[in-house]
Amino acid sequence: MGKTKIKIDYSKCGPEGKVDPRECAKCLNVCDPCVFLRHEDLKKKEENIYDPQHWKITAIWPSVCTRCFKCVEVCPENAITIKF
Amino acid sequence: MCKWCTQHGIGKKWYMNARNYSDQLADEHNLQEYLTEQWMNFEAVYIRKIAGLSSKGLGYKLQMPLIGKILRWTVERMIHGTVRNPKPIRADGHIGQVIPMEDAQIILSELAAEPIVETYCMCRKMQRGINYQSCINFGVLSEVLEKLPRFIPKERAHRISREEAVERMEEHNKKGLVATVWYQPYPYINAICNCESPECGALRLRNDFDLMIMSKAEYIIDLNQDNCQGCKSCVSMCQWNAIRYIPSIDRVIIDYDKCFGCGVCRHACKHDALKLIPRQEFKGFDGHF
Repeated sequence: MGKTKIKIDYSKCGPEGKVDPRECAKCLNVCDPCVFLRHEDLKKKEENIYDPQHWKITAIWPSVCTRCFKCVEVCPENAITIKF
Repeated sequence: MCKWCTQHGIGKKWYMNARNYSDQLADEHNLQEYLTEQWMNFEAVYIRKIAGLSSKGLGYKLQMPLIGKILRWTVERMIHGTVRNPKPIRADGHIGQVIPMEDAQIILSELAAEPIVETYCMCRKMQRGINYQSCINFGVLSEVLEKLPRFIPKERAHRISREEAVERMEEHNKKGLVATVWYQPYPYINAICNCESPECGALRLRNDFDLMIMSKAEYIIDLNQDNCQGCKSCVSMCQWNAIRYIPSIDRVIIDYDKCFGCGVCRHACKHDALKLIPRQEFKGFDGHF
Protein backbone atom coordinates (compact mmCIF):
# COMPACT_ATOMS: atom_id res chain seq x y z
CA MET A 1 0.00 0.00 0.00
CA GLY A 2 1.31 3.44 -0.91
CA LYS A 3 1.34 6.42 1.41
CA THR A 4 -1.95 7.95 2.49
CA LYS A 5 -2.01 11.75 2.58
CA ILE A 6 -4.65 13.37 4.76
CA LYS A 7 -5.01 17.12 4.49
CA ILE A 8 -7.07 19.43 6.69
CA ASP A 9 -8.04 22.87 5.39
CA TYR A 10 -7.32 25.16 8.33
CA SER A 11 -9.24 28.05 6.77
CA LYS A 12 -12.35 25.96 7.53
CA CYS A 13 -11.43 24.22 10.80
CA GLY A 14 -9.40 25.48 13.77
CA PRO A 15 -8.58 28.95 15.11
CA GLU A 16 -8.93 30.59 11.67
CA GLY A 17 -12.03 28.67 10.57
CA LYS A 18 -15.68 28.61 11.60
CA VAL A 19 -15.51 25.38 13.58
CA ASP A 20 -13.84 24.99 16.96
CA PRO A 21 -12.31 21.50 17.17
CA ARG A 22 -13.07 21.39 20.90
CA GLU A 23 -16.81 21.36 20.15
CA CYS A 24 -16.88 19.47 16.85
CA ALA A 25 -14.24 16.68 16.98
CA LYS A 26 -16.50 14.52 14.77
CA CYS A 27 -13.53 13.21 12.81
CA LEU A 28 -11.78 12.07 16.00
CA ASN A 29 -14.90 10.26 17.09
CA VAL A 30 -15.55 8.54 13.81
CA CYS A 31 -11.99 7.39 13.11
CA ASP A 32 -11.61 3.74 14.12
CA PRO A 33 -7.80 3.65 14.17
CA CYS A 34 -7.47 7.13 15.80
CA VAL A 35 -5.48 8.84 13.07
CA PHE A 36 -6.27 12.37 14.25
CA LEU A 37 -4.79 14.43 17.05
CA ARG A 38 -6.38 17.48 18.65
CA HIS A 39 -3.78 19.84 20.04
CA GLU A 40 -3.25 23.46 20.98
CA ASP A 41 -2.07 25.74 18.17
CA LEU A 42 1.64 26.29 18.74
CA LYS A 43 1.69 29.54 16.75
CA LYS A 44 -1.00 31.29 18.82
CA LYS A 45 -0.18 33.25 21.95
CA GLU A 46 -2.39 32.16 24.82
CA GLU A 47 -3.71 34.58 27.41
CA ASN A 48 -3.71 31.93 30.11
CA ILE A 49 -1.03 29.34 29.40
CA TYR A 50 -2.72 26.87 31.75
CA ASP A 51 -5.97 27.02 29.77
CA PRO A 52 -5.24 27.33 26.02
CA GLN A 53 -8.14 28.47 23.81
CA HIS A 54 -6.80 27.88 20.30
CA TRP A 55 -7.07 24.27 19.16
CA LYS A 56 -6.59 22.52 15.86
CA ILE A 57 -6.64 19.00 14.45
CA THR A 58 -3.79 17.25 12.66
CA ALA A 59 -3.86 13.88 10.92
CA ILE A 60 -0.89 12.62 12.87
CA TRP A 61 -0.76 8.86 12.10
CA PRO A 62 -1.62 8.55 8.37
CA SER A 63 0.15 5.17 8.21
CA VAL A 64 -2.60 3.47 10.24
CA CYS A 65 -5.42 5.02 8.13
CA THR A 66 -7.71 2.32 6.72
CA ARG A 67 -9.07 4.61 3.97
CA CYS A 68 -12.68 4.23 5.04
CA PHE A 69 -13.38 7.93 4.22
CA LYS A 70 -15.71 8.24 7.22
CA CYS A 71 -13.94 11.45 8.32
CA VAL A 72 -14.44 13.04 4.90
CA GLU A 73 -18.16 12.22 5.05
CA VAL A 74 -18.67 13.40 8.63
CA CYS A 75 -16.81 16.76 8.45
CA PRO A 76 -19.45 19.55 8.50
CA GLU A 77 -17.09 21.96 6.70
CA ASN A 78 -15.70 19.49 4.14
CA ALA A 79 -12.24 20.38 5.38
CA ILE A 80 -10.65 16.92 5.03
CA THR A 81 -9.20 15.50 1.82
CA ILE A 82 -7.52 12.12 1.46
CA LYS A 83 -5.14 11.24 -1.36
CA PHE A 84 -3.23 8.08 -2.07
CA MET B 1 12.45 -9.35 36.02
CA CYS B 2 12.82 -6.40 33.67
CA LYS B 3 15.86 -4.15 33.68
CA TRP B 4 14.09 -1.43 35.66
CA CYS B 5 13.47 -3.93 38.43
CA THR B 6 17.14 -4.76 38.71
CA GLN B 7 17.99 -1.03 38.85
CA HIS B 8 15.20 0.31 41.06
CA GLY B 9 13.46 -2.67 42.54
CA ILE B 10 15.61 -3.50 45.61
CA GLY B 11 14.91 -7.17 44.91
CA LYS B 12 11.24 -6.55 44.10
CA LYS B 13 9.41 -5.23 41.06
CA TRP B 14 10.38 -1.62 40.26
CA TYR B 15 6.90 -0.32 41.01
CA MET B 16 6.88 -1.99 44.42
CA ASN B 17 9.75 0.13 45.75
CA ALA B 18 8.30 2.88 47.99
CA ARG B 19 11.20 5.23 47.31
CA ASN B 20 10.10 5.69 43.68
CA TYR B 21 6.90 7.32 44.93
CA SER B 22 8.35 9.62 47.58
CA ASP B 23 7.94 13.40 47.62
CA GLN B 24 11.59 13.53 48.57
CA LEU B 25 12.55 12.05 45.19
CA ALA B 26 10.28 14.57 43.45
CA ASP B 27 11.95 17.45 45.29
CA GLU B 28 15.41 16.13 44.52
CA HIS B 29 14.66 16.32 40.79
CA ASN B 30 12.65 19.56 41.05
CA LEU B 31 9.66 17.86 39.48
CA GLN B 32 6.90 20.35 40.29
CA GLU B 33 8.26 22.66 37.61
CA TYR B 34 9.15 19.86 35.21
CA LEU B 35 5.70 18.26 35.32
CA THR B 36 3.88 21.58 34.94
CA GLU B 37 5.87 22.28 31.79
CA GLN B 38 5.29 18.72 30.52
CA TRP B 39 1.55 18.61 31.11
CA MET B 40 0.91 22.11 29.73
CA ASN B 41 2.40 20.89 26.45
CA PHE B 42 1.33 17.27 26.40
CA GLU B 43 -1.05 17.36 23.43
CA ALA B 44 1.63 19.10 21.38
CA VAL B 45 4.29 16.47 22.02
CA TYR B 46 3.69 14.72 18.70
CA ILE B 47 3.60 17.84 16.53
CA ARG B 48 6.43 19.75 18.12
CA LYS B 49 9.56 19.53 15.99
CA ILE B 50 12.55 17.98 17.70
CA ALA B 51 15.79 18.40 15.75
CA GLY B 52 13.70 19.36 12.70
CA LEU B 53 11.40 16.32 12.85
CA SER B 54 7.96 15.87 14.39
CA SER B 55 6.07 12.62 14.98
CA LYS B 56 3.63 13.47 12.17
CA GLY B 57 3.55 10.46 9.85
CA LEU B 58 5.95 8.61 12.16
CA GLY B 59 4.91 5.26 10.71
CA TYR B 60 6.14 6.28 7.25
CA LYS B 61 9.25 7.97 8.60
CA LEU B 62 10.28 4.79 10.41
CA GLN B 63 9.95 2.81 7.16
CA MET B 64 12.52 5.00 5.37
CA PRO B 65 15.70 3.01 4.60
CA LEU B 66 18.52 4.52 6.66
CA ILE B 67 16.83 7.53 8.21
CA GLY B 68 14.18 5.22 9.70
CA LYS B 69 16.81 3.24 11.56
CA ILE B 70 18.48 6.34 12.96
CA LEU B 71 15.10 7.80 13.87
CA ARG B 72 14.07 4.63 15.72
CA TRP B 73 17.32 4.64 17.67
CA THR B 74 16.90 8.34 18.56
CA VAL B 75 13.27 7.98 19.62
CA GLU B 76 14.04 4.90 21.75
CA ARG B 77 16.85 6.76 23.42
CA MET B 78 14.58 9.73 24.05
CA ILE B 79 11.64 7.88 25.59
CA HIS B 80 13.99 5.81 27.68
CA GLY B 81 15.43 9.18 28.66
CA THR B 82 17.32 8.07 31.68
CA VAL B 83 19.68 10.90 30.67
CA ARG B 84 20.71 13.40 33.30
CA ASN B 85 18.76 16.40 31.99
CA PRO B 86 15.43 15.19 30.64
CA LYS B 87 13.39 17.74 28.69
CA PRO B 88 9.74 18.13 29.69
CA ILE B 89 8.38 19.13 26.25
CA ARG B 90 9.74 15.93 24.71
CA ALA B 91 8.23 13.73 27.43
CA ASP B 92 11.65 12.21 28.12
CA GLY B 93 11.70 9.31 30.53
CA HIS B 94 7.95 8.73 30.31
CA ILE B 95 8.00 4.95 30.25
CA GLY B 96 5.50 2.50 31.64
CA GLN B 97 4.52 -1.08 32.19
CA VAL B 98 1.29 -3.04 32.14
CA ILE B 99 0.24 -4.33 35.57
CA PRO B 100 -2.60 -6.55 36.72
CA MET B 101 -5.40 -5.09 38.85
CA GLU B 102 -4.05 -6.65 42.07
CA ASP B 103 -0.68 -4.90 41.76
CA ALA B 104 -2.38 -1.59 40.92
CA GLN B 105 -4.49 -1.91 44.04
CA ILE B 106 -1.44 -2.57 46.21
CA ILE B 107 0.18 0.56 44.78
CA LEU B 108 -2.90 2.68 45.40
CA SER B 109 -3.58 1.40 48.90
CA GLU B 110 0.00 1.35 50.19
CA LEU B 111 2.59 3.09 48.04
CA ALA B 112 1.09 6.02 46.12
CA ALA B 113 1.82 9.46 47.61
CA GLU B 114 -1.17 11.62 48.52
CA PRO B 115 -3.11 13.48 47.19
CA ILE B 116 -4.69 11.05 44.72
CA VAL B 117 -6.72 12.44 41.82
CA GLU B 118 -8.68 10.85 39.00
CA THR B 119 -8.59 13.10 35.95
CA TYR B 120 -9.70 13.02 32.33
CA CYS B 121 -7.52 10.76 30.22
CA MET B 122 -5.27 12.92 28.07
CA CYS B 123 -4.88 10.36 25.29
CA ARG B 124 -8.61 9.84 24.79
CA LYS B 125 -9.05 13.60 24.90
CA MET B 126 -6.54 14.31 22.17
CA GLN B 127 -7.05 11.26 19.96
CA ARG B 128 -10.74 10.42 20.38
CA GLY B 129 -12.08 13.84 21.33
CA ILE B 130 -13.88 12.58 24.43
CA ASN B 131 -13.63 13.30 28.14
CA TYR B 132 -13.19 10.04 30.05
CA GLN B 133 -12.30 10.04 33.71
CA SER B 134 -9.91 7.14 34.14
CA CYS B 135 -6.38 8.36 34.87
CA ILE B 136 -5.33 7.99 38.49
CA ASN B 137 -2.46 10.33 39.33
CA PHE B 138 -0.75 10.88 42.63
CA GLY B 139 1.97 12.75 44.44
CA VAL B 140 3.35 15.93 42.93
CA LEU B 141 1.49 15.37 39.66
CA SER B 142 -1.91 15.77 41.37
CA GLU B 143 -1.19 19.36 42.32
CA VAL B 144 0.19 20.10 38.87
CA LEU B 145 -2.93 18.73 37.16
CA GLU B 146 -5.23 20.78 39.36
CA LYS B 147 -3.80 23.90 37.75
CA LEU B 148 -4.92 22.73 34.29
CA PRO B 149 -8.72 23.07 33.94
CA ARG B 150 -9.03 20.91 30.82
CA PHE B 151 -8.12 17.75 32.73
CA ILE B 152 -10.40 18.32 35.73
CA PRO B 153 -13.61 16.25 35.47
CA LYS B 154 -17.06 17.74 35.90
CA GLU B 155 -19.11 14.58 36.51
CA ARG B 156 -17.57 13.31 39.71
CA ALA B 157 -15.02 14.59 42.18
CA HIS B 158 -11.41 14.33 41.10
CA ARG B 159 -9.76 14.16 44.54
CA ILE B 160 -10.32 10.65 45.81
CA SER B 161 -9.34 8.68 48.89
CA ARG B 162 -7.19 5.55 48.78
CA GLU B 163 -10.25 3.34 49.22
CA GLU B 164 -12.07 5.09 46.38
CA ALA B 165 -9.01 4.77 44.16
CA VAL B 166 -8.88 1.02 44.78
CA GLU B 167 -12.61 0.75 43.98
CA ARG B 168 -12.31 2.78 40.77
CA MET B 169 -9.38 0.64 39.72
CA GLU B 170 -11.55 -2.46 40.00
CA GLU B 171 -14.41 -0.75 38.16
CA HIS B 172 -12.16 0.20 35.21
CA ASN B 173 -10.39 -3.16 35.07
CA LYS B 174 -13.64 -5.13 35.01
CA LYS B 175 -14.82 -2.95 32.13
CA GLY B 176 -11.80 -4.18 30.18
CA LEU B 177 -9.38 -1.28 30.56
CA VAL B 178 -5.72 -2.16 31.00
CA ALA B 179 -3.90 -0.85 34.07
CA THR B 180 -0.48 0.65 33.40
CA VAL B 181 2.00 2.27 35.77
CA TRP B 182 4.27 5.13 34.70
CA TYR B 183 7.63 6.67 35.35
CA GLN B 184 7.12 10.36 34.79
CA PRO B 185 9.94 11.20 34.52
CA TYR B 186 12.27 8.32 35.31
CA PRO B 187 12.70 7.32 38.19
CA TYR B 188 9.64 8.97 39.80
CA ILE B 189 6.32 7.09 39.62
CA ASN B 190 3.14 9.16 39.70
CA ALA B 191 0.39 7.68 37.56
CA ILE B 192 -1.69 4.59 36.96
CA CYS B 193 -3.57 4.84 33.67
CA ASN B 194 -6.45 2.71 32.48
CA CYS B 195 -5.60 2.30 28.82
CA GLU B 196 -7.21 0.92 25.72
CA SER B 197 -6.08 0.46 22.16
CA PRO B 198 -5.91 2.41 19.82
CA GLU B 199 -6.69 5.62 21.75
CA CYS B 200 -3.71 5.30 24.07
CA GLY B 201 -0.64 7.13 22.81
CA ALA B 202 1.71 4.59 24.36
CA LEU B 203 -0.11 1.59 22.89
CA ARG B 204 -0.04 3.28 19.49
CA LEU B 205 3.75 3.57 19.65
CA ARG B 206 4.20 0.04 20.97
CA ASN B 207 1.63 -1.86 18.89
CA ASP B 208 1.84 0.02 15.60
CA PHE B 209 5.44 1.23 15.54
CA ASP B 210 7.11 -1.27 17.87
CA LEU B 211 8.69 1.41 20.07
CA MET B 212 9.36 0.23 23.60
CA ILE B 213 7.53 2.96 25.48
CA MET B 214 5.37 0.42 27.32
CA SER B 215 6.58 -2.94 28.59
CA LYS B 216 4.58 -6.12 28.98
CA ALA B 217 3.65 -7.07 32.53
CA GLU B 218 5.73 -9.20 34.88
CA TYR B 219 2.96 -11.74 34.36
CA ILE B 220 1.52 -13.70 31.48
CA ILE B 221 -1.83 -15.42 31.05
CA ASP B 222 -2.03 -19.20 31.25
CA LEU B 223 -4.98 -20.94 29.62
CA ASN B 224 -6.22 -24.17 31.12
CA GLN B 225 -7.40 -25.78 27.89
CA ASP B 226 -9.51 -28.42 29.65
CA ASN B 227 -11.50 -25.82 31.58
CA CYS B 228 -12.30 -23.64 28.55
CA GLN B 229 -15.93 -24.14 27.46
CA GLY B 230 -15.69 -21.98 24.34
CA CYS B 231 -18.04 -19.22 25.55
CA LYS B 232 -15.86 -16.56 23.84
CA SER B 233 -16.51 -13.91 26.54
CA CYS B 234 -12.78 -13.35 27.04
CA VAL B 235 -12.22 -12.56 23.35
CA SER B 236 -14.08 -9.26 23.60
CA MET B 237 -12.05 -8.20 26.66
CA CYS B 238 -8.59 -8.44 25.11
CA GLN B 239 -7.08 -5.14 23.96
CA TRP B 240 -4.14 -6.89 22.28
CA ASN B 241 -5.90 -9.30 19.86
CA ALA B 242 -4.19 -12.13 21.71
CA ILE B 243 -7.27 -14.35 22.13
CA ARG B 244 -9.13 -16.03 19.28
CA TYR B 245 -11.97 -18.54 19.23
CA ILE B 246 -11.53 -21.65 17.09
CA PRO B 247 -14.89 -23.26 16.23
CA SER B 248 -13.63 -26.75 15.33
CA ILE B 249 -12.03 -27.34 18.74
CA ASP B 250 -14.64 -25.20 20.53
CA ARG B 251 -12.18 -23.32 22.70
CA VAL B 252 -10.07 -20.19 22.55
CA ILE B 253 -6.40 -20.09 21.63
CA ILE B 254 -3.92 -17.59 23.05
CA ASP B 255 -1.17 -15.84 21.13
CA TYR B 256 1.27 -15.70 24.05
CA ASP B 257 3.58 -13.42 22.12
CA LYS B 258 0.83 -10.79 21.94
CA CYS B 259 -0.28 -11.24 25.56
CA PHE B 260 0.78 -8.29 27.71
CA GLY B 261 -0.25 -9.96 30.94
CA CYS B 262 -2.84 -7.39 31.99
CA GLY B 263 -5.20 -10.08 33.26
CA VAL B 264 -8.32 -8.27 32.09
CA CYS B 265 -9.65 -11.40 30.34
CA ARG B 266 -9.87 -13.21 33.69
CA HIS B 267 -12.87 -11.09 34.68
CA ALA B 268 -14.89 -12.51 31.79
CA CYS B 269 -14.09 -16.19 32.39
CA LYS B 270 -16.73 -18.09 34.34
CA HIS B 271 -14.96 -21.45 34.12
CA ASP B 272 -11.67 -20.69 35.84
CA ALA B 273 -9.72 -21.33 32.66
CA LEU B 274 -7.57 -18.18 32.66
CA LYS B 275 -4.92 -17.61 35.28
CA LEU B 276 -2.09 -15.07 35.54
CA ILE B 277 1.30 -16.56 36.24
CA PRO B 278 4.68 -14.83 36.73
CA ARG B 279 6.40 -14.36 33.38
CA GLN B 280 9.58 -16.11 34.53
CA GLU B 281 7.61 -19.30 35.19
CA PHE B 282 6.45 -19.40 31.57
CA LYS B 283 9.18 -21.12 29.61
CA GLY B 284 9.90 -19.29 26.37
CA PHE B 285 8.50 -15.93 27.46
CA ASP B 286 10.76 -15.25 30.43
CA GLY B 287 12.53 -11.96 29.78
CA HIS B 288 10.29 -11.04 26.83
CA PHE B 289 8.92 -7.63 27.72
